[in-house]
Amino acid sequence: MLNLFEREKLDLLALAPEQTAISVEGLNLWFGKKQVLSDVSMKIPKHRITALIGQSGCGKSTLISSFNRMNDLVDGCRYNGTVEIDGRDINNSRENVARLRARVGMVFQRPNPFPMSIYENVCYGLKLQGMSLRRSLDDAVEQALRDAALWEEVKDRLFEPANILSGGQQQRLVFARALALQPEILLLDEPTSALDPLTTLYIEELMISLKKRCTVIIVTHNMQQAARVSDYTAFIHQGELVEYADSDSLFTMPAKKQTEDYITGRYG
Amino acid sequence: MRQVKLNNHISGKFNIELENLRNSVLTMGGEVEQQMVDTLRAIKENNAGLAEKVVLNDLKINAMEVQIDEECMRIIAKRHPTATDLRLVLTIAKATTDIERIGDEIERIATLVTKNNLPVSETIKSSMLTIGEHVVAMMRGTFNAFARQDEHAALGVYDQDNRIDRQYKALLSYTSQEMRQYPEMMEDWLEVLWALRSLERVGDRCKNICEYVVYLAGGSDVRHASIESMQQKIDDLAQ
Repeated sequence: MLNLFEREKLDLLALAPEQTAISVEGLNLWFGKKQVLSDVSMKIPKHRITALIGQSGCGKSTLISSFNRMNDLVDGCRYNGTVEIDGRDINNSRENVARLRARVGMVFQRPNPFPMSIYENVCYGLKLQGMSLRRSLDDAVEQALRDAALWEEVKDRLFEPANILSGGQQQRLVFARALALQPEILLLDEPTSALDPLTTLYIEELMISLKKRCTVIIVTHNMQQAARVSDYTAFIHQGELVEYADSDSLFTMPAKKQTEDYITGRYG
Repeated sequence: MRQVKLNNHISGKFNIELENLRNSVLTMGGEVEQQMVDTLRAIKENNAGLAEKVVLNDLKINAMEVQIDEECMRIIAKRHPTATDLRLVLTIAKATTDIERIGDEIERIATLVTKNNLPVSETIKSSMLTIGEHVVAMMRGTFNAFARQDEHAALGVYDQDNRIDRQYKALLSYTSQEMRQYPEMMEDWLEVLWALRSLERVGDRCKNICEYVVYLAGGSDVRHASIESMQQKIDDLAQ
C-alpha cells in the first residue's frame, strides 16, 4: 500500500492522561450577564496543533484565553467547570497564575513587541523569572530567535529597537519572546491575520516545527490555514462546541450540518 | 437521501459556478447518451453517414472534458471547496473522465460502422442492439442518479451491469463458435468482438460514475467494494 500521508487519528474522547495537554470539563463562562461559553468539554492532545474555528464572537478567543486565565483580567468575568493541565485545575484559587502563563504562552493577532531592543524583548520574561547571568541570557535569546526562524535576520542588530522590524519579523519576535520561556503549551490567537501570505506560510512552518516541543492551539478565521496546519479542529458556535475531530475528517466529511454550513460558507 | 444543496452559499457567484459545473456534466452526459442512441440506430439501419456524424461529434465531447476540467481546477484554486463542495468538484472531475472514455468507446463502435464492418449477421445485430439498449438505459439511470445525487438509485443502476455482463459473455461465446465455423471471416469477427467489448466497457464506466454518486451523496468511498458492502455502507451512513 502507498503511504501518502501521515494520518494519525487519536480518540479525542478517550485520550490517556499522558496524551492530554489540556482537559476541559463542563466549562461555562460569563462576561457580566452574557454567557459566552456553554458547557464546553474537550481534551486537547499533547504535541499536536489544535485549531479552534467559528464565527466572530462565537467564544473561541475566550476559550483559548481560559487556558492561561487571561479572562481573569476582564471585569465581570466568572466561570465554572474545570480546565486541567497535567491533572491540576488551573482555575484553583491557589494556582500561581504567573507560573501558569509562563507554562502556557500566548501570541496575539497583532505583533506587540515591547518598546525596547530585540534582545530585551526576548529576554524580558526570562529576567522576570530571575535569570540574570549574561551568558545564559545570550544563549536563551539566540535559541529562542533560532526557534522562531528570526536569528539569521536579526543577529547583527540585536540591540536595535524592535519596532524597526517588519510586521512578519515583529510577529516572529513575539513568538521568540513566548518560546524563550519554553512553554509547554502555546496559544495563538489569529497569529497571522495581520500578515502577508508569504509571512503567513513562514509562521505556519514555525507552528509545525514547534509541535515537537510544545502543544499548539490556534484560533483562526482562515479555514484553509486550519486545514493546512492543524491536526485536530474544534468548531464552536455561539459558545458551544459543535464538533471536534481530526482536521482531515472535519474538512472533508463533517458530522454536523452546522459545521458543514460554516466551512462551506453556507447560511443554515 | 442526502442532497448537496448548491444554492445556499453566502457567495451567490459560487452557487452559480457549482450549478453551471453540474449542468455542464449533465449536458456532456446527455451528449454521450445521444451518441450511443445514434450509434445503435446506425447499426440498425446500416447507416454509415450517421456513424460518421457520431465519430465527428466525439471531438465536441473531448472539448467538453477539457472545459469541465479547467473549471474544476479554477474552482479548487479560487474557492478552496470543502466537505460536500469538495466532494462535488472531485466527483465531477472523475466522472467527466469516465464520460469522455464512454464517448471514446462509442466512437470506436461508430468507426467500425462507417467501414461497414458491423455486424456480420442478423443474430449478432439484434443481440448487439439489445445489449446496446440496456447500456443506454444504464447511462440514462447513471446521469439521473448523478443529477439527483441519489445513492440508492446509483446502486440500482450499478446492479444493472451484471445483466450486461451476462449478455456480453453469452454473445462472446456465440461469436467464438461462429469464428471457428467461419474462420475465413476472422477479421470481421474480431471487429465484432471489439464493438462488443466497447459496449461492455460503457457499462463498467457507468458503474464507476455510480460509485462517485455514492461518494458525493454520503462521503463513502465504495470503489472496488461488492454491491452488498456498498449497500451496507449506504445504510450505515443513513443511520
